[in-house]
Amino acid sequence: MSPLGVALATLLSHYRRHPGQLALLLLGLWVAGALWSGVQAINASARDSYARAEALFDADLDRLTPADSRPLDHEDFVTLRRAGLPVSPIVEGEVTAAGGERLTVIGIDPLTLPGDSALASPGAESGLEAFLTPPWRTRLAPETLAALGLSRQAAGGATPRLAGGRRLPPLAPSAALPPATLVMDIAVATQLLGRGDGLSRLVVPAGALAAAPPGYDLERAEQRLAPGELTASFHLSLTAMALLALIVGLFIVQAALGLALEQRLSLLRTLRALGVPGRTLIGLLALELALLGLVGALAGIASGVGLARALLPDVAATLSSLYGAEVGRTLQLPWHYWLGGLGVTLGGLFLAGSGVLWRAARLPVLGLGQAQAWRAGYQRQLGRQALAGAASALLALGLWAWLATRPPGEGLVAAFGLVAALLLAGALWLPPLLAAGLAGLGRWMHRRPLVQWALADLQLQLPRLALAMMALLIALSANLGVGSMVGGFRLTFLDWLDQRLVADLYLRPTPARFDEIDAWLAGRPEVAERLATASGETTLLAIGDAETPRQPVALFGITPGDTLKPGWPLKATLAGREAAWRALTGGAAFVNEQLAIARGIVPGDRLTLAAPDGGERLRVVAIYPDYGNPQGEVLLATPQLRHRFQAASGSLGIVLADGEAARPLASALRTRFDLDTTALRDQRQVKRVATDIFERTFAITRALNALTLAVAALALLASLLALARERRRQLAPLWALGVPRGRLVAVQLAQLGMAALATGLLALPLGLAVSACLVGSINVAAFGWRLPLHVFPGGMLLTLATALGAALLAGGLPSLALWRTPPRALLAEEAP
Amino acid sequence: MRGWRLLVVGLLLAGCERDPTEPRAGFAGLGADAEGFPPLASEAALAFPEDHGPHPGTRLEWWYLTANLRGPDGAPLGIQWTLFRRALRPPTAPTSGAWAADQLWMAHVAVSRGATHRVAERFARGKVGEATLERHQAGVTAAPFRAWLDDWHLESRVAEGTGDALDRLEVSAEAGRGEAAFGYRLALDAQGPLVRHGKPAFGEGSAEAAGPIYLSQPFYRVTGTVTLEGERLAVSGRAWLDREWGNRLMAPRHRGWDWFSLHLASGHKLMVYHLRGETASDTTLFGTWIAADGETRTLDAEALSLMPLTTRRVAGRELPTRWRLTLPDRGLDLTVAARHPNRWMATSVPYWEGAVTVRDHEGGLPRGEGYLEMTGY
Repeated sequence: MSPLGVALATLLSHYRRHPGQLALLLLGLWVAGALWSGVQAINASARDSYARAEALFDADLDRLTPADSRPLDHEDFVTLRRAGLPVSPIVEGEVTAAGGERLTVIGIDPLTLPGDSALASPGAESGLEAFLTPPWRTRLAPETLAALGLSRQAAGGATPRLAGGRRLPPLAPSAALPPATLVMDIAVATQLLGRGDGLSRLVVPAGALAAAPPGYDLERAEQRLAPGELTASFHLSLTAMALLALIVGLFIVQAALGLALEQRLSLLRTLRALGVPGRTLIGLLALELALLGLVGALAGIASGVGLARALLPDVAATLSSLYGAEVGRTLQLPWHYWLGGLGVTLGGLFLAGSGVLWRAARLPVLGLGQAQAWRAGYQRQLGRQALAGAASALLALGLWAWLATRPPGEGLVAAFGLVAALLLAGALWLPPLLAAGLAGLGRWMHRRPLVQWALADLQLQLPRLALAMMALLIALSANLGVGSMVGGFRLTFLDWLDQRLVADLYLRPTPARFDEIDAWLAGRPEVAERLATASGETTLLAIGDAETPRQPVALFGITPGDTLKPGWPLKATLAGREAAWRALTGGAAFVNEQLAIARGIVPGDRLTLAAPDGGERLRVVAIYPDYGNPQGEVLLATPQLRHRFQAASGSLGIVLADGEAARPLASALRTRFDLDTTALRDQRQVKRVATDIFERTFAITRALNALTLAVAALALLASLLALARERRRQLAPLWALGVPRGRLVAVQLAQLGMAALATGLLALPLGLAVSACLVGSINVAAFGWRLPLHVFPGGMLLTLATALGAALLAGGLPSLALWRTPPRALLAEEAP
Repeated sequence: MRGWRLLVVGLLLAGCERDPTEPRAGFAGLGADAEGFPPLASEAALAFPEDHGPHPGTRLEWWYLTANLRGPDGAPLGIQWTLFRRALRPPTAPTSGAWAADQLWMAHVAVSRGATHRVAERFARGKVGEATLERHQAGVTAAPFRAWLDDWHLESRVAEGTGDALDRLEVSAEAGRGEAAFGYRLALDAQGPLVRHGKPAFGEGSAEAAGPIYLSQPFYRVTGTVTLEGERLAVSGRAWLDREWGNRLMAPRHRGWDWFSLHLASGHKLMVYHLRGETASDTTLFGTWIAADGETRTLDAEALSLMPLTTRRVAGRELPTRWRLTLPDRGLDLTVAARHPNRWMATSVPYWEGAVTVRDHEGGLPRGEGYLEMTGY
């Protein structure tokens, strides 16, 4: 074996004697790598879905819409084509699979769809023929098959039934399509969607038209938001959480590495004395680091993929309910994902290990480690940390001040920066605060030698414990902040749901039968009130007299009756609730918070919306919260909406008279009008569905949050376990001086408990600040709604308990070992 | 950008319906069986203007115009305007809905001059035999005669009842954007009658094997304007319109064809169809000698001989761009040569279509001009 090999083997032999340290190191790397790469896998997979959605036919095409929002049909298409305009028709709508999942149907005309010749690919001709003619074909992504209850093997040519009983054209899977999307010929799509000749839109190649033809509006592809842009904020939040986990994991690594070096100091000196050059020694240590890093990172990435696989369904549910963006529920990972994960984990490892290497490089060959000398150095370090913490706090303050001047909904990155700066300031201040606290307590307790010793000893331990405590503080604060935000959201959301879902039964008749069913209900004595809704889509043309970039908005009609008015939540009104409701009945409008924030609309503004008879001007009299809706929405009284925008009828809420049961009416409705199960739901069902969606939405947040906290507790445990052996050596003299083992154990637990409690206490205000940032800035920017700030004392107690529990658990194991150690062994350890 | 769009559409349309081991019958499946389509009566009498319109009972049909033109500087220009109809299924009960399709329309437009060759292709779905045909993206009506896909059209300028609808036509098409824009608007005036070609004998005897019905109007004089490479040119020259419909345009043994439409300086027109098989015995050669008054004489393999002289590599294929054509009975021994080899139509069904010169094989005296189409290479 070469001398180099011998030296490396000698260095590594340390881990044979201390397998626990090796395990700790690998554990840290593994955890950091797993969380980071897991989240990145989710993001990569979602991005793949967006890319497929964007590649789908019309994302980069310009669109033509009628200037007066009348419906488009076949005649528009033919007239424009025969005038030489290269338009192509698209019809888009939703169908419900037999299992209840909603799927988007896109009907295309492959013969005119822009792109090079639709027939050009070899063998396409007969495929085209099958696509164009009965029984047609349904193209869909393989991951969509599950929604239709089919396995991949059984999929080809299958004709699954939809909820309404209709069958889909024979399936033909195609991996290039986005999930939850069925693509078929426009002829069969219009049949399936019951659209007649109606079109959703006309598309033209980007830039093909210099101007819109008369009577139409031209919407350029670049003016539209791609799904990836809308969801960027969500992925940014996920990345921020993953980064947090990575940092916490690297704290563990740093602690383990520091310990492994400390314990090998004499070994290093011996090697130096035997003639191994310092530079070689550093090289060998770096090599060791790389080897460990590779093993840990690879294991981390592999587990990350598993983690992502487990979390992805929830993420997909979140994205679909928050943004209406469809993401595949199976992982799609590009090659660079693997390299990226490895790079970040290894990079982080070297960052964490660089301090250790630096210290090893400056190691005096003959010097002996001196605790006091160390301490002086540490005091200077604490001073620097306090300064850095102050700078970080100043940065947070500056960002906060800047954000306060911005219109709401802007500055998502700055808001994340604010949270990061806050957490960093807290973490940096923790060790100086602890040190100052200990020093103060020490002076105060100068009459009680054992306590004074314990405080002084804790101060000596602080450099080692500080990192783990900082990690714990960050994890606790983030946990508390996110927990408060989600909890507050949940309360608000459930409240809001109660206020909005006031009817006992919800009926969704087909537009054709709406009036018939409504009339029948009008004659039923048990029905107290019918709450008809209507919905439609239009374009926002102007706010006040200022033309705005055209934005599609949803229209929603409600029946402002006695049941609905008292509870319906409003955030701002022009002249009080009563006046707002009166104005709504008279033809004024409410807008949802998302739209108000995005476009700076306040009560009193006048909106111009595209309507069949040209522009409709509406006065905004109130703003209402609309959680979970990805779109801007304008609310009108149902009769107004149906009359002025020729909107389609929507659902029908049925309020029963006091003391009437819903069940008999429901079964009467079902038999009389032959309704299927999805057409009629009772209030509890609707609420349950909504709550389910909400819970799934935040399942991912909760899971990541819990994982990060677990990692932080692990970091603390790791640090303490690493210290334990050394600690025993320091406790032995005390025992020799006559302090009983029981007291020693108690002292040790008290030391740790106090440090952890201090950390937990600091985490409380920090967590609240994080929560305030999340609620006040990040939520508004990411989702478009502002939530009230909720404080949960239970959550705060839990935070403190977590800190204490983690510390006591971490301190308990070594204490138990101490308790069991025969005193003689303690003394034997004191001997070098 | 276009690359992946094409890929998506390709992936979308590349169904698994076709058995890849199944050979395509003839060029572009044009020799395939036409199951479900009623056989074409072998000596069908024609009736106009109805037969200028579409024949939805047949599988394939086209309106095919080529023109040899000259610009103000005398430089030769060629144009092509074609509308193809293919029935997606045999005529059955009509399907409902404006988008339901039983016909696939395909149009090709080309303008060429020297080394420049501009081509555009468009598609449309259609339904024939419907009262609202005018309200479709593509179609053909017999009276008044009008064939169109989008804004590309070929239509009659004859007032109803004053003569054959094809006697005077207008053809117009524009394609491409900016610098690459090209197109034409031409007036066509026939100086002779419509002619019907003799039935090509595919040699199989059964009614199913009956060849298509094939008509031409080879006597057009043309004036108008052509847009090419940013220029608007006043042009004039000759044009030849082909009408063909049937269930199969060649026998399954045929691999493709070479088709000549020649305006001879003598005032005669000459059409030659060369349906190529794997072997000489599988090859069918026939033609029509058309006098200036429209009188026709069908030419069979005895009266004609055709031989490729030189081939050129075009679009990765060896194509014969010079031919020797002899009609011993007429004392003609001609060389027919492409004006430029770059006349490849890189369309969904690719082929070669371009202007040719006709000269004496010996001596090289000019004898006329025309168009050559080569498929299945």
